[in-house]
Amino acid sequence: MKKMQKNIMTFSAGVKKTSHWLWYIALLYFSYLMLLITLQYVPINADVAFLRVKTDVTGLWYYNVAFFTHVYSSMFVLLAGIIQFSSFIRTRFIPLHRWSGRVYVAVIICISGPSGLIMGFYGNGGWIGQLAFCLLAMLWIWFTWKGFFAILSGDLILHKAWMYRSYALTLSAISLRLWKFVLVYLFEPKPMDLYQLVAWLGWTGNLVIAEVFIYFTIGRLYRKRKSIVI
Amino acid sequence: MKMNMQSRNLPLNVFLLILFSFSVLIGCGDGMVKNKVPAENKSLSEQPDSLAGAEPVSLTSSLIIQDEKDLKGYWVGMFEPDTSIDGVYTGEVRAWDYSNKINISIDEINGSNVKGHSVVAGNDRPFTGTFEKAGAAFNFFVKEPGDDKYDGQFSFRIDKGDSTLTGIWIAYGKIRIPQRKYELVKKNFRYDPNVKLEAGRYIDWKKSKKVTDEIDGEPVYDNSYFTTTDEVNKYNASADLLTKDQVANMKKADLFIIRNTIYARHGYSYKDQQLRAYFDMQPWYIPVSTNVKSQFTDLEKKNIALLLRYEKNAKEYYDVFGRG
Repeated sequence: MKKMQKNIMTFSAGVKKTSHWLWYIALLYFSYLMLLITLQYVPINADVAFLRVKTDVTGLWYYNVAFFTHVYSSMFVLLAGIIQFSSFIRTRFIPLHRWSGRVYVAVIICISGPSGLIMGFYGNGGWIGQLAFCLLAMLWIWFTWKGFFAILSGDLILHKAWMYRSYALTLSAISLRLWKFVLVYLFEPKPMDLYQLVAWLGWTGNLVIAEVFIYFTIGRLYRKRKSIVI
Repeated sequence: MKMNMQSRNLPLNVFLLILFSFSVLIGCGDGMVKNKVPAENKSLSEQPDSLAGAEPVSLTSSLIIQDEKDLKGYWVGMFEPDTSIDGVYTGEVRAWDYSNKINISIDEINGSNVKGHSVVAGNDRPFTGTFEKAGAAFNFFVKEPGDDKYDGQFSFRIDKGDSTLTGIWIAYGKIRIPQRKYELVKKNFRYDPNVKLEAGRYIDWKKSKKVTDEIDGEPVYDNSYFTTTDEVNKYNASADLLTKDQVANMKKADLFIIRNTIYARHGYSYKDQQLRAYFDMQPWYIPVSTNVKSQFTDLEKKNIALLLRYEKNAKEYYDVFGRG
């Protein structure tokens, strides 16, 4: 009996370790792909990739500012996930967690979020696409602010919950492109239909996963705490 | 309140992994991101100019041959191999069989001398020679200059009271198909912006190599990437100014064919084998010239620029990990 218990424990530790490493490898791999995408826009050039089909707005100086700000800054918030979710750093290098977190919050609230909102306003895919991207940008800023505000008030549980939501939206940069890749592979839809679809799928899927996760983990703690308070 | 850090680590990792589950599923093969702009595809970029562009002849002569002056004009039909050479097979479908639409244009008749040119497969070649009247028929014997690998000599006859030209062509040099035969019909060419695609679907055989299934040992190809849809019949890039919204939702092959149909309406002769096979099927299509750019209307020029922009985008970004 004891031996079996031990086996289960080793197994669960093994799963934990493996998933840990898989997560880092996946995040690094996709961050690398995002870096390649970012590099298409270095040096600043309006006649490449995505901007080639945005000629009606690339004439607007504030769109250009928003676009390049967004492209160059968003790379860094993605990588914050490597530092922020590490329990090793959270427990032994608290200052690193705090400073990296401050950068994450500042970049999203002041730079990547607002620039994303401007881009969303001029987004492709008509109002369907624009609504999706504007909502995404606003929720991103809001969740990040809530997470920051929670830790300022010393509420670790709420901090975690909001930051999971925030990072779920951060990851939409990757998931949106993955959805697109998979949907093209499977169905080869018309390009603009696809664009509108992934504009929504890209972040709502992540958010649903985050909510389910929060409900079953942090939510349990949160409800417990509430019952104690009451 | 007691925080247990360790107990939450496992689900956290699982959560993050679910967000990434696709990466494991699809294996993340190479080429998901195209960082570098690939070398320009010849058939995608604007068709190359040729110096051998000939002015279309004025076509006022009758389609039924009554006398010598009616001989002048365009004679159009298939230029077929006159040997036992088989067609080229791609997969299980016969993609092309080396037959190309040819336009033999008789431009000048002077006594017994004749001058003209032929347009076929993106090749515009002049010829000179003689003809003689033999009863109710005209027998021609004309030669191409000989400074092109594919030059040769034509001999054909046209019957009086008829509208057909039949004959053979023999190459000077050693090429894959040294002899061809043809039965051509006299046609008038007039640029018509309203002419529409009629026959078949365009399939890019060279690129449709993705095998999806096998039936009785024969591979089944997935052509949907490179096959035109019904969209090509909905839009006419010679008659209507296309909008950004219309073009933005078109698939690669549709963009490509809608743009190339502009060229076809002006009688562009295609070097590209697949485009040639496709437009040769269109009953209205006549190869007239290898350089039609100067004939484009302003509307067509605008549409071409717009279509090209989205074609490039579709080609580089549609099926890769990225936006756009």
